[in-house]
Amino acid sequence: MITNLAVLPIVIPLLAAIIASFFPKKLRVVRIFTQVMMVINVLVTAGALWYVQQNGTVVLEAGDWMAPFGIVLVADMLSISLVLTTNIIGVACAFYAPKSLSQKQEEFYFYTFFFLLITGVSGAFITGDLFNLFVFFEVLLMASYGLIVLGGEKIQLRESIKYVLINLFSSMLFVTTVAFLYSVVGTVNMAQIAERVGEVEQKGILTTIGMLLFFVFATKAALFPLYYWLPKSYIVPNPVVSALFGALLTKVGIYSIIRVFTLIFVYETSFTHDLFIWIAGLSLIFGVIGALSTNNIKLIIAYNIIPAIGFILIGIGVFNETGFSGSVFYLVHDMIIKAALFLLVGAVAYLAGTSDLRKIHGFIHYYPGLGWMFFIACFILAGIPPFSGFIGKLLLLKGAFEEGEIAIAIIGLGSSLLILLSVMRIFIRGFWGEKDPNIRPNRRVARGFVFPVALLLFFNVLLGVGAEWFYPSIESIGEYLMNPEIYMDTVLKE
Amino acid sequence: MLFAVFLPAILAIFIPFLSKWKEKIHTGYFVLLAPLAIFIYFVRFIGKDFDTVMEQYSWIPSLQIGIDFYLDGLSLLFVLLISGIGALVTFYSIFYLHTSEKLSHFYVYLLLFMTAMLGVVLSDNVFVLYSFWELTSISSFLLIGYWNYKERSRYGALKSMLITVFGGLSMLGGFILLSIITNTTSIQAMIEQADVILSSDYFGWILALVLLGAFTKSAQFPFHIWLPDAMEAPTPVSAYLHSATMVKAGIFLVARFSPIFVMSDWFFIFVSGIGVLTLVWGSFMAVRQTDLKGILAFSTISQLGMIMTMLGFGTKAAIFAAVFHILNHATFKGSLFMIAGIVDHETGTRDIRKLGGLFTLMPISGTLAFFGTFSMAGVPLPFLNGFYSKEKFFDSSLHLNEYTSELANLLSNAIPYLAVFGSIFTFVYSMYLVFGTFLGKKQFDQLPKKPHEAPFGMLISPIILVLGIVVIGLAPFLFNETILAHAAEAIYGEPVKAHIQFWHGLIPAFYMSLAVVGFGIVLTISRKGWQSIYRFIPGKLSLNKAYDFILAQLENSSAKITNTYMNGSLRRYMVLILLTIVICCFTALGLTNGFAWDTSNLAPITVPEILIALAMATAAIATIFTNNKIAAILILGVVGYGLSLLFVVYKAPDLALTQLVVETITVALFLLCFYHLPNLTERIESKAVKSMNVLISLGFGVLMTVVAISAHNTKLFDTISEYFIETSHDLGGGDNVVNVILVDMRGLDTMFEIVVLGIAALAIYGLVKLRNKKGAE
Amino acid sequence: MEIITSILAGVLFTTGIYNLLQKQLLRIIIGTALISHGAHLFILTMGELKQGAPPILEEGLSNYTDPLPQALILTSIVISFGVTSLLLVLAYRASKENGTDNMDQLRGNENDY
Repeated sequence: MITNLAVLPIVIPLLAAIIASFFPKKLRVVRIFTQVMMVINVLVTAGALWYVQQNGTVVLEAGDWMAPFGIVLVADMLSISLVLTTNIIGVACAFYAPKSLSQKQEEFYFYTFFFLLITGVSGAFITGDLFNLFVFFEVLLMASYGLIVLGGEKIQLRESIKYVLINLFSSMLFVTTVAFLYSVVGTVNMAQIAERVGEVEQKGILTTIGMLLFFVFATKAALFPLYYWLPKSYIVPNPVVSALFGALLTKVGIYSIIRVFTLIFVYETSFTHDLFIWIAGLSLIFGVIGALSTNNIKLIIAYNIIPAIGFILIGIGVFNETGFSGSVFYLVHDMIIKAALFLLVGAVAYLAGTSDLRKIHGFIHYYPGLGWMFFIACFILAGIPPFSGFIGKLLLLKGAFEEGEIAIAIIGLGSSLLILLSVMRIFIRGFWGEKDPNIRPNRRVARGFVFPVALLLFFNVLLGVGAEWFYPSIESIGEYLMNPEIYMDTVLKE
Repeated sequence: MLFAVFLPAILAIFIPFLSKWKEKIHTGYFVLLAPLAIFIYFVRFIGKDFDTVMEQYSWIPSLQIGIDFYLDGLSLLFVLLISGIGALVTFYSIFYLHTSEKLSHFYVYLLLFMTAMLGVVLSDNVFVLYSFWELTSISSFLLIGYWNYKERSRYGALKSMLITVFGGLSMLGGFILLSIITNTTSIQAMIEQADVILSSDYFGWILALVLLGAFTKSAQFPFHIWLPDAMEAPTPVSAYLHSATMVKAGIFLVARFSPIFVMSDWFFIFVSGIGVLTLVWGSFMAVRQTDLKGILAFSTISQLGMIMTMLGFGTKAAIFAAVFHILNHATFKGSLFMIAGIVDHETGTRDIRKLGGLFTLMPISGTLAFFGTFSMAGVPLPFLNGFYSKEKFFDSSLHLNEYTSELANLLSNAIPYLAVFGSIFTFVYSMYLVFGTFLGKKQFDQLPKKPHEAPFGMLISPIILVLGIVVIGLAPFLFNETILAHAAEAIYGEPVKAHIQFWHGLIPAFYMSLAVVGFGIVLTISRKGWQSIYRFIPGKLSLNKAYDFILAQLENSSAKITNTYMNGSLRRYMVLILLTIVICCFTALGLTNGFAWDTSNLAPITVPEILIALAMATAAIATIFTNNKIAAILILGVVGYGLSLLFVVYKAPDLALTQLVVETITVALFLLCFYHLPNLTERIESKAVKSMNVLISLGFGVLMTVVAISAHNTKLFDTISEYFIETSHDLGGGDNVVNVILVDMRGLDTMFEIVVLGIAALAIYGLVKLRNKKGAE
Repeated sequence: MEIITSILAGVLFTTGIYNLLQKQLLRIIIGTALISHGAHLFILTMGELKQGAPPILEEGLSNYTDPLPQALILTSIVISFGVTSLLLVLAYRASKENGTDNMDQLRGNENDY
């Protein structure tokens, strides 16, 4: 009975989505309903996390079809902590959405898409079946298509098309690759795939199939050189949608890479994982170059997604326990801070009426709350202690140095500086400066934006200052990823 | 100690409330309590029989990060400087900053800085040290940008932050390497393992990374460029952060780690080499400044270089002299900054070309300035502390260690000359500073304000500092064994006997001092004559230009690079993505011998299948060439229906039916949606584009085919399908296995497949209904 | 025969991608449709072709084709149908709104956002 815990984070938002779709026009009800449901979902997930931490991984065999024949849902520490992070971001977005969306956008099923996105993301984290992962990918992508076109503006439609096309292509590649893998190992259950790939030591075509799978995920994760679709399509929708995308979508991609390349394809690391380090380094470099290249505040944040993913990939590339812990820690940290930053610049752009940095000055004089939150967010992003980014970065760099990968560590340090520069430019040019007598501050609206962002930043600070409460669990995840047989044994009950 | 360190930060929380009454009580009075209390708390440690104290508080034990405070002679000296100068500066600021300013901001930043700086000098854990280190950079950034409506302030703030954070990050890299090699995060424990570190392969990296941190923070050449621009901060800040404390954090770091590094020749070459270069360059450039604070900034750079040089020597005498000068520099430079602030406050300008003859109007400030500058110049007057430290410097430069490498020997031979050369210019700018401001031509009509002596409160802090100059000068023995010897011991690692007495006699160093004064006087008098050489040396400008250039290039070239590939063209994106996949996967295929060819287990080929396949292939290729939209859509239909025929042939009846229905609807949809759109046009594209497209699509198609054939030919395991066929009837209750799989065994897939369809429906509904009518909405 | 179907699927991918690299929206969408056909054919090929009866249980028969790939294809067909329909409507709306169906003119520039 208790195994049903694993399905709750998927079912609750799904039901909420369906209910929300019944009365789209009753906005007041829907808003409160959404907020309440998200809070409930957070509590349930937190409970699940607690349970998993106490009693170990929860495996649910859907429809009681035993693994590896049916679909399994695997709530281990990694997946459930990511689901919890997702839901925390969801809460912040649920409170932010009414402030930034137009009434029309809300009426056209924003909340339904929103819940379905959460469903898809949570499902992707929890599932233990490769084809089912594809299905959840489609759920979250389809919800994201719904969200990105919401509003139907010219630019939105234009960028959405590119977004949909590239994701469609990678989805098709995904199913094909699953089929290839099925042909070789005769199963789609991830634990069993891992077991069987291990038995033959990843010989023959398997590495190539692994690479194809990597590129499928890398496209979604926006790694170099596959991220081109990301920056512009992430800034066209409403800020709350951008925040959801920036925080969740790419992270599902990188999560899948973590899962697959610590569980299944771990026998040719001298090729695959060395390649990852290269890709990580180039993602860092080109990501910060992108972030420095523009004066559009939303675009600056969007580009900053890419180096973050690069950081996470370093941990997988160096392939040691410290690196894995670092990746997981950084992943959780980055999900939250990206959401916070997108919400922040969204608020700034909303209040300023433009996202062109050249036209924004002296904002801190009118909106000190937003200003100081942004200031702190910059340091969180750049990994300055005592905030969450620092712990993640410290672990990743340590992991890299332990393997003697000096070059990537130096690139990591250098790009931290440039990341800081890219966001500090916003602070110095946009928030500092002379008061503009023409601006009539809209403090009432600004106040509405403060709470959700503050909530997210609170978690960032907590993760950093209170690292002792979280790190041991994350360290155990690193250890767990280092020993994939634990996962196989738990799922296949051997 | 924990409370002492965090006291300022805690107080900072209340400052915004306390500043509500700033009209009645200047907020500074509240702030003053913090440094005073800390000073009193720590001053009791002073004494001959001082012993080190370690206090440990747990923070993140599982990462070996703990707030471990370690108080030895070195940190005690710094703590007293931070709190002592902090108290004086705060007191001074009460008169300097008017209550109409945003006092709460100023004092919150200042208090944060105090906590950060105390943390830096007391932390024994490298990562906690780094945390406080970055906090000093951040608070310095905020203080420099205090008047952020000024463009120069913003510029200076960003510059200082970029350079010091750059150094901080590289220092972090060094710390991580150190902690990996020694398996500890405590500095004291690292010092015990100095031989392990020295023999490590990464020693070069560690040395370079840690020293980068120190050099950037202490404004060593060529990173000194941030310090002059940091002078945009209010003068109390310049006196405190940018001369007495924060810039000495780099010195502190070098001193802290010198027990580890000092064995290496490279430590001497880097630290003394860069130090002496900074000393010469700083004093040389100070002479050309016209802003009082500019002169002081370059003078600070040069003095920091001097301390750095001495630390690099690594001899007992040099280390003692370095510690001594840290103390001295704080006294005379602090007082000089305050005087500069007073001059600025009372006359409205800091431009030395407009100033002159102020002594008659401001006799007290003038007298104080004379003490400060003469001490700074090292004029051989036995009651000035600067004279002693300079003499110690010369003395130690004549008694260096023996080095093995030639470069180090070359440097050690050159250093005495460079030291004298730099000191001559120190003398010149010191004289220039004081004579240009307080003596010389009176030109009061050029001043924005009518000058008069500063209020007495403002003078108290500099007076105390100047008293310090004289007391240290007359009675150095008071400080020798009580504090300086302990500090030197902490750096050297063994007890250091105190050296400084009231008068040393006619030693070689004394003649060097005399030479400095002699040449100095000549150059000071003839300054106008030779100042034109600065025109040939772009100096300050060129390094600043380099910084500006790098920053501008970062933006411009990154924009250029990004725009070359991020041009919004879907084709470009796809080409790059596909190329990457094709190249990497073929490489993987080749490297791992993945290709497999095995015809033994294939299904037989029959004519109808071949025909269907041929038809589908032809149709697929035809889609490329047709220029009629209706035709294209219908041809696409052929492929789809062909596929469903293949499903029939390959015993997949459910698929065939589904495909048939879906294909029909899709074709209808295609026709519907594209009815109104323009017809397909002739494809006009260059040969290069066309061949690229062909190449990539062929490459990808071949890749997929090759992988598919190989995958099919390496069936290594039985599939799990056997289980489905066996159990479908008994457990699933159905004979159509595919259906049972769909609704039962993999029911979750199907459920969410329906969800996907549902979302698509809603999204389409939204797309069609929610139109952005211009003006409406 | 598997080799032939693999090649056929490869051809579908090739032509699909070639169309995807074109400028006109309609061609691009036709490309995606071809790619999904190719993908489904690949999945089908990966189960063994014709190694038995259709997977509908009958008395006395024990040799059936692999049912799992078929189930996967079915799911995938339905999903790609959903995506294709959305894409079509989106393409229609985007080209109407922007006044062109040429992707080259749908690039956008810095000042748009």
